[in-house]
Amino acid sequence: MKNKADIVIIGAGMSGCSIAYNLAVRGAKNIVVLEKSFICSGSTGACGAGFRMQWGTEMNCRMSKFSTEFFEHANDILEYDGDIELRQSGYLMIADTEKELTQFRKNIEVQHACGIPSRMMSLEEAKELVPHLNTDILSGAAYCQKDGFLNPHKTTDAFYKAAKRLGVEFYTFTEVTGIKVEHGRIVGVETNKGYIETPIVVNAANAWSQGIAKMVGVELPLYSERHQILVTEPVEHMQDPMVMAFNLNLYVQQTPHGSFIMGRSDSGEPRDLRRTSSWHFLEEMAKTIDNVLPLIGKLRVIRQWAGLYNMSPDRQPIYDKVEGVEGFYVAVGFSGHGFMFGPVTGTVMSEMILGMEPTIDASRLKLSRFAEGNLFTEPSVV
Amino acid sequence: MRITQHPILTFERGKEINFTFNGQPMKGYEGETIAAALHAAGVKVLAKSLEKHRPRGFYCAIGNCASCQMVVDGEPNVRTCITLLREGMAVETQEGKGTIK
Ligand SMILES: Cc1cc2nc3c(=O)[nH]c(=O)nc-3n(C[C@H](O)[C@H](O)[C@H](O)COP(=O)(O)OP(=O)(O)OC[C@H]3O[C@@H](n4cnc5c(N)ncnc54)[C@H](O)[C@@H]3O)c2cc1C
Ligand code: FES
Repeated sequence: MKNKADIVIIGAGMSGCSIAYNLAVRGAKNIVVLEKSFICSGSTGACGAGFRMQWGTEMNCRMSKFSTEFFEHANDILEYDGDIELRQSGYLMIADTEKELTQFRKNIEVQHACGIPSRMMSLEEAKELVPHLNTDILSGAAYCQKDGFLNPHKTTDAFYKAAKRLGVEFYTFTEVTGIKVEHGRIVGVETNKGYIETPIVVNAANAWSQGIAKMVGVELPLYSERHQILVTEPVEHMQDPMVMAFNLNLYVQQTPHGSFIMGRSDSGEPRDLRRTSSWHFLEEMAKTIDNVLPLIGKLRVIRQWAGLYNMSPDRQPIYDKVEGVEGFYVAVGFSGHGFMFGPVTGTVMSEMILGMEPTIDASRLKLSRFAEGNLFTEPSVV
Repeated sequence: MRITQHPILTFERGKEINFTFNGQPMKGYEGETIAAALHAAGVKVLAKSLEKHRPRGFYCAIGNCASCQMVVDGEPNVRTCITLLREGMAVETQEGKGTIK
């Protein structure tokens, strides 16, 4: 292992790999990524794989559009020897209350102003698109064809391999155990495999990021929360879009392999680092799917698992350089949508670290917004 | 071959019943699984592998491996090794991953 680096990134999920690639492609050298387990072993490898441009604020619309356009060409840009399995087969957002429908209409205005091809969809049309959808319980829907899903393992692998080709060094099964600060500046990182001298540390440790920040005496206003998900046996293709509902509380997509991946939120989930599975989730998920997409309820569950959301007070990420600890950067608090924001994360953070003109304006996502009470409120988060 | 003796299991063979395999009339016994009846009738290929369409047969016999999945009365992905035979069942070889209706 190297004992000296210019930049050390902690965490090799979507965020860490994208930051590493984006730094390297902008000419940064001597970059090291430290991962306590294997690449993609955190939330990225456990996620629902969806990306959407159907957001309710201009900033999120712009950011997700940037990500989507990147994903469309990611195999080529990253010169990937595999396939990230991008499917732009749409996101069908369903509502069962008038309130949600009104919100969808408002969101679509914002989306249209950003050039996003979303639209309201009648229940008849939704039923045509997804014949097994129980439209009897719905009040309406919104749809964007350009949304969809892609394989998180392969996408992270594509960033990882591209970064490696550009000289980035990855050390897996290497856990950061301490960060050394002298006179208010980062000077190095302690790991279970030895010490690395570095002036810059990027905290991309997601659910574990609060612990990393504590190593330099910084309290991040975040908590981690378990989210569960399951996969069914495969069947022949029968559902194009990701179906998602806020109030009915579910998201479900059919993977290219034919299996269905589905999840839901639960306010009763533990807020710590547990990644165990529960019967309760299985029961609630089954009830939800029987109600909304009854036919899928016939499928057998192959496996269920859990991952962690890293929640911020306004359900938006923090992209920042932390005041008071020179050289300490954070890309954390993704609150359940950090996979789709991966290309943005890498771009914003690399330009911030290298002092370059920002391509995307993420100034609303500073850490100081919480202390100032200047929260960024996005109406459309799960 | 039909298993009649087993170190820990006993087989209670019921009355003879009729079913079809890919439209062909077949006979089996009440109390045995679909796969057991097919096996006794000399049917060794129960399914096809998904990618290369290679033959798949009776394998784990306890519902764990998916090697015996067939379409039964129109329902796909039925594990025939743990599903009991019933009078008049229509058992078919499954093409692909199955379609739920
Ligand atoms: C069930 C579920 C469904 C989701 N669905 C979606 C979705 O559909 N779309 C979407 O955009 N997002 C989704 N998300 C959110 C998304 O998964 C995360 O926001 C995103 O993956 C975060 O990426 P990351 O790289 O920041 O974090 P992670 O992938 O968690 O990576 C952080 C890494 O840091 C490592 N690490 C931690 N501590 C240390 C240490 N001390 N030393 C070294 N390494 C360390 C961890 O091992 C881990 O690999 C979902 C999340 C879950 C749990
Ligand atoms: S032979 Fe294994 S599941 Fe039936």
